[in-house]
Amino acid sequence: MSAVPTDLSSWRHPPWLREFATEERLAWVFVVKCMLAFYIAAWFSMLFQLEQPATTMITVSIVMHPHSGMVLAKSFYRAIGTCAGSLVGLLLMSAFPQQRELFLTALALWVGICSGGAVLYRNFMSYGFVLAGYTAAIVALPAISNPYRVFDSAMMRVSEVLLGIVVAGLVSDVVLPERLRQLLRRIAREHYQHFIDFARGSLGGAIPRAEMEKVHLRFVRAAVQIEDLRSSVIFEDPEARARSSRMQLLNLRYMAAATSFQSLHHLINRLQRNNHPRTAGALIKLYAPVGEALSPEPGDQAKPRLLATRLEACEARLPALAAELREELRQDPELLMEFDSGSMMLRRFASELRDFTSLEAALRETQGVLGGTVERVDFKRANDFAAPAIAVVRTFLTMITLSVFWIATGWPFGPSAMLLATIFSGLLATSPSPLAATANTWIGYALGMIAAYFVVFWFMPGSDGFLMFMLVTGPLLAIGPYLTTRNATLPGVGAGYTLGFVYILAVKNPMVYAPESFFNDAIASLFGLMMSGAAFMIIPTVIGSAWLRRRQLAQLRRQVVFAATAPLEGILYTFESVNRDLYHQIVQFTQQGSQESRDLFTWALAVHDCGRAIIELRQDMAHADLPPPLIDSMQRAVDSLAALYDSPDKTRWQRADEAVDHAITLTSQTLPQARASCQPALGHLLQLRIALRDDESALAPYIVKAPENPHAA
Amino acid sequence: MPREIALADALVPGILLVYAGCLLVLWVIDTIVGRYGLYRYVWHPSLFRVAVFFVLFGAAGLILYP
Repeated sequence: MSAVPTDLSSWRHPPWLREFATEERLAWVFVVKCMLAFYIAAWFSMLFQLEQPATTMITVSIVMHPHSGMVLAKSFYRAIGTCAGSLVGLLLMSAFPQQRELFLTALALWVGICSGGAVLYRNFMSYGFVLAGYTAAIVALPAISNPYRVFDSAMMRVSEVLLGIVVAGLVSDVVLPERLRQLLRRIAREHYQHFIDFARGSLGGAIPRAEMEKVHLRFVRAAVQIEDLRSSVIFEDPEARARSSRMQLLNLRYMAAATSFQSLHHLINRLQRNNHPRTAGALIKLYAPVGEALSPEPGDQAKPRLLATRLEACEARLPALAAELREELRQDPELLMEFDSGSMMLRRFASELRDFTSLEAALRETQGVLGGTVERVDFKRANDFAAPAIAVVRTFLTMITLSVFWIATGWPFGPSAMLLATIFSGLLATSPSPLAATANTWIGYALGMIAAYFVVFWFMPGSDGFLMFMLVTGPLLAIGPYLTTRNATLPGVGAGYTLGFVYILAVKNPMVYAPESFFNDAIASLFGLMMSGAAFMIIPTVIGSAWLRRRQLAQLRRQVVFAATAPLEGILYTFESVNRDLYHQIVQFTQQGSQESRDLFTWALAVHDCGRAIIELRQDMAHADLPPPLIDSMQRAVDSLAALYDSPDKTRWQRADEAVDHAITLTSQTLPQARASCQPALGHLLQLRIALRDDESALAPYIVKAPENPHAA
Repeated sequence: MPREIALADALVPGILLVYAGCLLVLWVIDTIVGRYGLYRYVWHPSLFRVAVFFVLFGAAGLILYP
């Protein structure tokens, strides 16, 4: 949605009308910007006497996007994509000037790789890959039939494409821009508020599982969304660029605090389930000061600085209160251990929350640059190479099929079909339902061409000059961008219409009247689009399929292996961000409330819980001076847990349980001699054991009930 | 400043290099201005940026190719 404040709120009209007006306003702003970009691009390309203004217009239609705030970020990657594509196009032509088979094979391979890249990378980077493929094709294909002017024609195409990109970027950025920064600020504050409210109101007791699932999803979405926005905003706003590392750190602290919070909650829930209400009650009492610190006078609640100071004050009180509460408990060593583990988690959560609020305060209070430096943290994405590999193979086969068909038939309009297949293989590769998208795009494309037919053969012959050109093409062209803003109801139709219209319009200077080439070209491009659709039928997409989800779930489990084996430098952020990115990717395609989404959630919780505890434990092992036999036993516990999560089964669970138990026993024995160094490690080991024996967790099916251990859940 | 420059035996207009240089200068200016948050004093930052670029490029072009 827009970040531009609307002044329509003063209307005394029904809310649906106000909503409609806001939406329509946005749609029309986009249409106006698109038309401006189209005509400025066409005008410049005619002014510079480029050969085919049509190429510039096609590029604009590929590039213009309703999310205009992203334009600069996109332009950056697109310019890179265009340069790479044009270089490859030139290389191909110079390498195989006389060898059409090799040339077409190499081109198909390049386009395939590009559509793989479009699947592998997120939002605007994927557009860059689409353009790299498209530029290579548009540079190389028309030049084949014109071997003497290969280089000139390639240079022309590159100029046309770059001009289109520059114009689209400028128009989007300068004319009625949508500022993402405001949106980022608003969203970040909303999430902050939600998190604080939730932390304030939730530890009075148990939260039902379904509720927790919703909240977890919201935390994950928040982290991923903020990162997405941040990575775009830094392109459009130098001030945000200067603060970018702070924002990343804030996001890390948010994620860390959310994880600790959930672990703590999990523990309390378990204690309540297993009939240890007193221990659970003690932990809830221990949490009370944190809750109090988060609820100052009404009216002051949103001020992070105040919360940070209050949290600091409450942190100092926690150890004493914990000792006091510990005295009151039944002196059962197992339960006391659980309580210690819980109170340690709680202290960790409080300090993380304090870090989070104080950074939020620093970001809110300062304008512009903040002094000092912060540690570099990077939001890591989780990538699975199966989907991109399939996209590469599919696109390669499509292009090869079209090439063979073209060579075998000597079809003069083969290049048109190939070009369209190139564009849409890349654009639609990321879609989870490419067949429907292709069908919609095809319909839109055909409609656009029909509209263009009337323009070219009925209106244009009588018109003269650029103004008349605008008048005759404008009304029918404007339908395209307008349909694009209706992507929710008519996905793909708008993009297809716009592209079909400008493609077949084939603006030249001077314009030519050539019906036969018009129809041939129309048929060829529709054929190319159909071929890319057929390819999706033959090699279906794996995005969102159950198979890929299973793979991603295994990848999520292996995050524990990552936590256990990766170097400690920057591990926490990588771990937290990849977890969330993966969860986010899987959850998009699961039904909310279904068994699958419940399973996914339990696994995600277990991975978060266990991985985080392993990371903390490894940090204890690295920094505290523990005796070597202890370190060995802890290392064994970590390794066995990694093995368990890598491929869970009962024997591995038993092995992990024994290893953790053994480490706990050893640590408890050395505790009296070295309390300071052993206490935190013991707490983390306990947390691991609790997570292992949790009969409601994802590991429940693998739990082996041990009769000689009365405390096993 | 020569009108055309040979890059890898392909003749490119010299003004293209000037253009790239101006983009670099603009990026530096942009970063400095953004670092100190001076865009708060500008009504339309992106328009301002485009204008600065035009000034830079126009001045460079006129100085180098009189």
